[in-house]
Parts: sequence; structure tokens; C-alpha cells
Amino acid sequence: MTLLGLTVEQDESGDVRGWMPVTEHTISADGMPRLGAVAMLVDALGGMRSITASDPEWAFTADMSLHLLPSGPCDVLRADLHVRRRGRRTLVIEADLTADDERPAGSALLTFAVVPRPVHLVDITIEMTPGRRLMNQNSANEVLETAYFEELGIAAASPGVVSVDLRPVIANTVGALHGAIHASVIDEASTSLARALLGTEAITTDMHLAYLELGRVGPITATATAVGDATDGHLTASVEVRDGAGDLVSTATTQVVAQ
Amino acid sequence: MSGFGNPTEIGVAQYLLMTIEEIGDGTAPLPHTRGNFPGASNTLDAQGRLGTDLLTCIVDSIGGMTSGLASLPEWIVTTNLTLRRAPDALHGSRGTGPLVLDTHVLRRGRSSVVTRVDVATAGGDAVATAWMSCSILTPANGPPPFTRPVRPFDRSVPDEPIYASAPHEFFNLTPGQRPGVVQLAIEPRLRNPWGILHGGASAVVLDATARSLVRGRASVEASPDVIVTDLAVHYLSPGRVGPIIATASSAGRRGPDHLVRVEVRDHGADDRLMALAMTTVRSFA
Repeated sequence: MTLLGLTVEQDESGDVRGWMPVTEHTISADGMPRLGAVAMLVDALGGMRSITASDPEWAFTADMSLHLLPSGPCDVLRADLHVRRRGRRTLVIEADLTADDERPAGSALLTFAVVPRPVHLVDITIEMTPGRRLMNQNSANEVLETAYFEELGIAAASPGVVSVDLRPVIANTVGALHGAIHASVIDEASTSLARALLGTEAITTDMHLAYLELGRVGPITATATAVGDATDGHLTASVEVRDGAGDLVSTATTQVVAQ
Repeated sequence: MSGFGNPTEIGVAQYLLMTIEEIGDGTAPLPHTRGNFPGASNTLDAQGRLGTDLLTCIVDSIGGMTSGLASLPEWIVTTNLTLRRAPDALHGSRGTGPLVLDTHVLRRGRSSVVTRVDVATAGGDAVATAWMSCSILTPANGPPPFTRPVRPFDRSVPDEPIYASAPHEFFNLTPGQRPGVVQLAIEPRLRNPWGILHGGASAVVLDATARSLVRGRASVEASPDVIVTDLAVHYLSPGRVGPIIATASSAGRRGPDHLVRVEVRDHGADDRLMALAMTTVRSFA
């Protein structure tokens, strides 16, 4: 999150809006940020929105669907998040994506599981200062200087198979793989499979991701398999993410298109 | 939630006629089931393909039942479902005819279940893959009466012409005043065992609405030239009164693929939002 330079503002209703600068280190072949990077924007803002929406309880991400539109090249991606349902046990949040504040760039739907607030989070203070601010103050000093997925340490083992070592920089507050990094390994596993099957550069355009368990043991490995044959420049993939103990920690389906 | 009705008399199941068999001896904590969908001609389009409407219906049916088996003695309600079709089985003869649904529960937590469904032809060609999430709840009068392992059972199909009709007739769909609006009038056959609108019916109306928007025609019939290739639907509240009105809006497009957002509301219940979906609609026209 720090390296992506995310900024955010929250209105009095609790709804949040955030921005992600789009650089040469985060884009795919169509000039739009890679799905894995967009997932970080959506997940971070969704988590922030969920805090006030689930109060006094807590919420964690259960699943995420993300669709990207060809709106590139763009300089800034904006996400506007709205609560669509706050039930006793689930919270549904929708995100609208906009390129350069003017072009529709996609959308996301997230489900959060509402749970009793963990003891260590009872006294958490939420920054509600009006106005736009960095989501992480460290972003003022840390700048992405290489490709985002390379910086994360995602490495391809073979077409459709990628792995990443579990390091603090890609872990969440409980030491498990950050939710948005699941999306990044799924993105890269899907595109690497598509490159091999389609014989050309490819981009992951949409994803349905369900979180199953915390990935606490590294390395984390994502394996993509084709659903049917790639046709007309389109690949549908099913992706399993497993931790170092071989346990399934998330599952996803993706759509990948040739560029 | 009221008591569960007779599972052999669920109207939507009597229409689809899918049989379900549990794999194993019924003691696995994460159940595995297999469904066989016969593909009666009235349920298929002109190319012999099952539309994404009924495909979602049968995925919801077997996925919900299998998730429920994992939750016994409690039961479940579907909270969201995603489905993605194989790109080589969208058009032409591939992916047509009877289907097999292989269903695995991936996770059974304290309050939710995640289940995966892979759909293929009888010959093994992939047609679609899906996963769904369910919330676990305690039904007022206990769960449905299943004997484990679950074995296929005969359904008595009412001797009524509507059970041999096309999907848009069975699900009582009528086009709205403009493309991208479709109405569903609730009939008893469209309710689930708890008396609310069957989740598959919501999928049918939202699929028809998304296709209608992309076709640019106020229509509800099957359309092999315009097909929903993926969807993510969130069930937000039950449909109880009706009419159910679905409204689609375009979020943008990528070549032949249109990203369409659909809202499904229970007009008779203060227009309460029942379901929210994002779909991708491919136009072959």
C-alpha cells in the first residue's frame, strides 16, 4: 500500500473516495494499472469504509469481484465506495472506478464478514480528518522504483504458476498474506498462463476472488488452469492460492485478454 | 425463516429436473456432490446451449444444497454467487446438451460456507466454473430432510404445460417499456421451500435484463447471439411480494464485451433492493 501512494478522503456519511497515481511501474499493456494494483486500492478503501459501516463490530474481507475497462492510458485512478447492504453478518460494498476523474474504468463488489471486534482493536483510532490525505504517511518517503509485482517479489515458476515469499511488507496486521496481494499473485498467474497459451502479451481484466484461510506460512503459490480452450484472444482461468503448508487459502476465477 | 417444504416439490427443481448424488458415504466434513442436468429441449436455446440464466439456477441449486449438507444440523442461505463461462463454449456446438456439475465445499467456517461448482458437458468439455458463498443459519423448523449420502430421487412433475415451456415463460418474465428493464411476477412455483423467491429466479431475471440492454430491445427470450459470459450476484434481501423489477445500466465495454450492472428490486415491498449484480455480456451480433 505504501509504495502505491494511495490518497483518500472520507465524507460525513462515512463513504470514502481514494486515488492511486498510475505510473510506468503499475501499468499493463493497455495503459491501465494492473488488476493486482487496483485490488490494493479497492481493498484498502473497502477496509477503511468497513470500519465505520460495521461499528461497533468489526469486518474483514470475505470476497472481491473486480472488473476493469479499457480506459487507459491514465494518470490517476479514482475509486468511490458505497455501502449497499449492512446486515447482521455481512457487509456489501460497491466501488466505482474512474480514470483521470472523467472516464469509467470499471467496478468492484466486496463482501465483508461482520464479526465481534477483536480485543486488540477495541481502542483503535480512526483518522476522520476532513480533506484528502495519504493513506499511509510512509508513502511520502517511499516511492516505487521498479515494476510493482517485481517489488512485491512475485516470481514465475512456470506458465500459470507464481510464488511469493511471505515477508512483513506484504503481510497484514496479523502476519498473513495481505488480501490485495492474493489478487496480485492471481493476476500474475493468470497472465503468465495466458501469455503461454495465447502467444502474446495479455492482461487480466476481471477477477472473482474468495478468501478461505489466512496465509500464514510462506511461500505462497498461485496456480492458474484454463477453463476450456483460450478462444478469440480470451482465456478463462481458475486459480488456486496455497500456502507453504499446501493449504488452500483463496480461490478465484479470472478473465484474461490478449493485447 | 419458516419451515422447509417438501424438497421433491420445488417448482424450479421440477422444471430443471437435475438429479444430484453425493459422492462418498456422506460423512465427509466437506461434502462432494455431482449433478446431472438432462438438458430438456425447452430449457435450451436454438443452438442447444443452456443460457447463463438457467446455468446459474442449477449452480445455485446444487451449490446451495451441498453447502447446506456441510452445515447440518443448521442450513444456509446464499449470499453471493460468481460464475464464468468457458470462452470456447459460448457459441456453436461446443458446450451444448446435457451437463455434469461437480461440486466441492472448499471451506466450512463458523458462519459461512464457500463452495465451488465446475460445469462440463457429458463428454467432459468445460462449460463454466463458479463459486458461491452462503451464510449459515438456524432454520425455524430444522433443516431439509436429507438421508446421507444423498442419492438421486424422482421428482413428480406437475402435468401442466408451463413445466415444458421456455425459461422466460416458466419464470413469468415480461419486458419493460425500454431495453434493460424486465419484470417477473411471482407465482407459487417460483418460490423456494421457505416461501421466498428462488435464488435462481433472481438470476434468470437479471440475465434477461442484461441481455436486453445489450441487444437494445425490450425482450426476454433466449438469445444465442447475446450471452452473459460472467456474473457476480449479491443477494441482499429476499423477494417476497413482487412484481420483481430488474434494471440494467451500462458501465462500459471492451470490444464485444459489455460490462452491465443490474439491480433487482421487489416492487411490492417498497422497491427493496433484492440483488445487485455485475455481468459481462458478449455480443456475437
